Amino acid sequence: MNFSLSLIFPLLLGFQTAAPNPQATCGPGISGSSSLRMEDESELPVQRFILPSGMRFLILPREGAPTVSFVVHYPVGSMQEVPGSTGLAHLVEHMLFKGSSTIGARKPWEEAQLFAQMDAAQDSLLEERGRTSRANPVRVLELQERIRSLEGEARSLAESGEFDAILSRNGARNLNATTSHEATTYYVELPANRAELWFALEADRLRDPVFRDFYSERDVVMEERRARVESSPGGLLNEAYLAAAFPVHPYGLPVVGLMNDLELLTRGQVENFYQTHYGPDQAVVAVVGQVEPDSIQAWAHRYFHDLGRRPPPPPKLVEEPHQRGRRSVEVSFDAEPQLRMGWKIPPESHPDTPALVMLSAILSGGRTSQLHSTLVLEERTATSVGASLGPGSRHTRLFTVGATPRLPHTPADVMAGVKQVLDKVRSEPVSVTEVERVRLQLEASRVRRLQSNFGLALQLAESEGSQGDWQETFRFTDRLVAVTPEEIQAVARRYLREETLTVAILRRPQEPRTP
Amino acid sequence: MMSFRHRGLRAVPPTRWSILMVTAVLAAVPGPGEAQQGTVTPHPVPAGEPALGLTFPPLVFRPPPVERREVHGVPIRYLHDPTFPVVDMVVSVRGGYGHLGREWYAAATALPTLLRTGGSTHRSPREVDEVLEALALQLTFGSGGGSISSSLNSLTRTLDEGLTIWQELLLSPGFDSQEVDIWRGQQEDRIRRRVDDPTLLAFTEFNRILYGDHSIGWELTLADIDASRLHPGTLQDLHERLFCRNRMAVGVSGDITWEEVEERLEPFLAAWPTCPDELPEPSPPEIRREAGVFLIPRDLPQTTVVMAHPTSVRLADDPRFFASRVANAILGAGGLSSRLMARLRGEEGLTYGASSLWTAPMRSDGLVGAITSTRSSSTVAATQLILQVMAEMVDTPPEAHEVDRVVDEFINGWVFNFESAAQMVSRQVSYLTSELPEDWLERYLIRLGDVTPQAVHDVFREEVRPEDMTILLVGSPENFDLPPETLGPVHIWTPISPHAPPVDPRHP
Repeated sequence: MNFSLSLIFPLLLGFQTAAPNPQATCGPGISGSSSLRMEDESELPVQRFILPSGMRFLILPREGAPTVSFVVHYPVGSMQEVPGSTGLAHLVEHMLFKGSSTIGARKPWEEAQLFAQMDAAQDSLLEERGRTSRANPVRVLELQERIRSLEGEARSLAESGEFDAILSRNGARNLNATTSHEATTYYVELPANRAELWFALEADRLRDPVFRDFYSERDVVMEERRARVESSPGGLLNEAYLAAAFPVHPYGLPVVGLMNDLELLTRGQVENFYQTHYGPDQAVVAVVGQVEPDSIQAWAHRYFHDLGRRPPPPPKLVEEPHQRGRRSVEVSFDAEPQLRMGWKIPPESHPDTPALVMLSAILSGGRTSQLHSTLVLEERTATSVGASLGPGSRHTRLFTVGATPRLPHTPADVMAGVKQVLDKVRSEPVSVTEVERVRLQLEASRVRRLQSNFGLALQLAESEGSQGDWQETFRFTDRLVAVTPEEIQAVARRYLREETLTVAILRRPQEPRTP
Repeated sequence: MMSFRHRGLRAVPPTRWSILMVTAVLAAVPGPGEAQQGTVTPHPVPAGEPALGLTFPPLVFRPPPVERREVHGVPIRYLHDPTFPVVDMVVSVRGGYGHLGREWYAAATALPTLLRTGGSTHRSPREVDEVLEALALQLTFGSGGGSISSSLNSLTRTLDEGLTIWQELLLSPGFDSQEVDIWRGQQEDRIRRRVDDPTLLAFTEFNRILYGDHSIGWELTLADIDASRLHPGTLQDLHERLFCRNRMAVGVSGDITWEEVEERLEPFLAAWPTCPDELPEPSPPEIRREAGVFLIPRDLPQTTVVMAHPTSVRLADDPRFFASRVANAILGAGGLSSRLMARLRGEEGLTYGASSLWTAPMRSDGLVGAITSTRSSSTVAATQLILQVMAEMVDTPPEAHEVDRVVDEFINGWVFNFESAAQMVSRQVSYLTSELPEDWLERYLIRLGDVTPQAVHDVFREEVRPEDMTILLVGSPENFDLPPETLGPVHIWTPISPHAPPVDPRHP
């Protein structure tokens, strides 16, 4: 349904600004009667258990309205694809909403026969299009129409919308999923008395999903690409930016897939990808809300007990070769200019990551941050500017500064302003006040994120799934708070260097190019 | 697919009955100063999901009561929730650019941002930023055509400092001239970039086509934000006209007792002025009623399609209004299971998203229609399919299970309306400023449960006319599957120029 970047940093830094001002915060305030304080965060009563299949569960019972959030995290994304089959992970995510051999099935035997016929027609279509001599357009059209006709026939034998319909009529909210470079996450919220429904449906679709409506859903994903990338100036620029920065590593390939690759994907590829990467031992389930842990554990065993372990998916060992010089890319599109600048930084597990995250907050977290105050408020060369880390977390990645030039200023003007601010950060430590600002904001965001069942479930699943420990996300906040101004200056000097810089600019076709 | 209720027999699922029985209690709205009580009691018979052989226990839930208070004549809605050391406050003031003329439009659009960024009469913008960020406060400011609202989210221990600066910004805004210039520059840029986003372009131009020179159809131009029209003085004048104690409502929730609230609201509200005059009522729009096809040529691989015509259904405690909500959800606002998504996306793979729209203002006509985006080569086919799906709903009543799904989704998911104290309180405040009854949610629940397939069909037959749709296409006509004229005579529509004077685009 959606594809997105990693969730962890947006959650940690989902704030406007920060910094404690002791004088300002020690007044005769209200005597808060809260039963839950910041230091409780790492002591949240999360119960963790693992089924024999390796499927991990995290349960956090909460008071409040009788609702429950379910999040399932799989450490699989477009990273696991190879050139020529981009978009596969995202398409699998779409197909897992199409029901199973139980849900939506009416005449499964007849349906399967039709699948075989349309897949054979698809093979013929690929063969025809792959002829070294020019493909016969009449034959291509005939085969496309045959696939379409067979899919219509198969549709009459099933109800591919039943998965959604069951959840809807039971009051579900927020039913969706996201795919990133490194993870796929499925989520839904239910009234608490209907929690068992999630177990029944999720176990069913994991056990025996049926990829019905495959060819029309592939068309849907192509429409998604047209909307998010090909008709979107920002989407086009991001795709070109990552491709330039990562010519070898899969971070350079689009999560939604390239149009030509999408046209060629087959149901068989989707099934193989699913079987390889969706073993129960890959799944982390977070359950947060008004639930009885004993019931959750009992349902987990009852519904998932027969899912056996699978061989682990093959590791993805590819690394981007060291970058030895500035790279630039320009996208020509009929829209006002935009700019991306990115420097290579190490994976999230590196000890420098907390300082880099603090650097991004110092640069663009709020109106007093250095980039915003300089470029937007003082020099007024940009209408917006932001810094972020990504697009993934496990491999060498990018520290990105994105900006929108304010007319009549050009991307070159904005780049000069960014360089000026970064030179200052490199040459002298940021002030203690700035660091304190970010620290207080972290403290506030710790409290605010505890307020949402869904946000907490996402955070727990992401932390356990990508780092093997749900508490790691909270420890990371502790490491952020411990960062010093000198450490921020050190990472700015170490990583924000010309030789690892990638610059991407979107401009109108007739505009003069950057010298 | 099994449905656990058969409309014709009026066999209602037990869980729904249990909630309905209790909401009848909820509907008895308490008088001023009392708590609004909400109670859902368990019912001995469980609900279930026959398709999976499941039964569910009854939902036992007693929503905490939102208290009704008053300070200096201002209605206060309050809910104590000490779960987290956080306090939320919201202020809502009736009045917006819809009540005023075009000459106020730019100032009204700028007002929320410049309340936040323009400093106060006591502090510069930079000083305000530093305090807000040092206190880790979250402030929001927003406005629509009919009201202005602002919220404060503060850690309990920083509430007093937060309240002080929030009051400064709301009552003594600085509207710093440098910040006004920055806002003007950002808007100049936004105006020029409007055409870059095909969806935004389609929506804004569609509003212009249908509403002309009415506040709903207005779009900012460079003329609107010229320094002669928009300056600190206009913002101060507008602020004085709108920010009045006799037009406001306040909500407070979180880690704070009523005594603590009262102690703080007394001086906070005493400082607000009382305005002598009521604002003029917004003029009703003259919505285009003729069918028509408009085209904005853009070199894009995907076409954005928007269509609508006026509808007389109004927001009111009226069976037709509730039937229209169900009709809209069945047609296209109900996600993957709705007809437009099932047909255009599920069956044909023509789009990533398709939705219907059915607006129902309280005092004027709304719109009914649909939106989608599709590859250029299926533009006309997708548009015709939307019209066909609408025509089918005009011709034939919906299936009982379709109505059940929409009603069940709302009723079974009713608890999601009570997930946080701030959510409950801000809902009550919004009812006050929009002049809805305070038990609107409960009424909605009951009335929706009464909607029948026949009522849905009736409102669809009376209100939806596919042949009268005004259709706007934003895309590349040379790549369309069929000429756009297939849909009717085509008018090439020119998007508003950044420099255009503010006039009715239908009668320039």
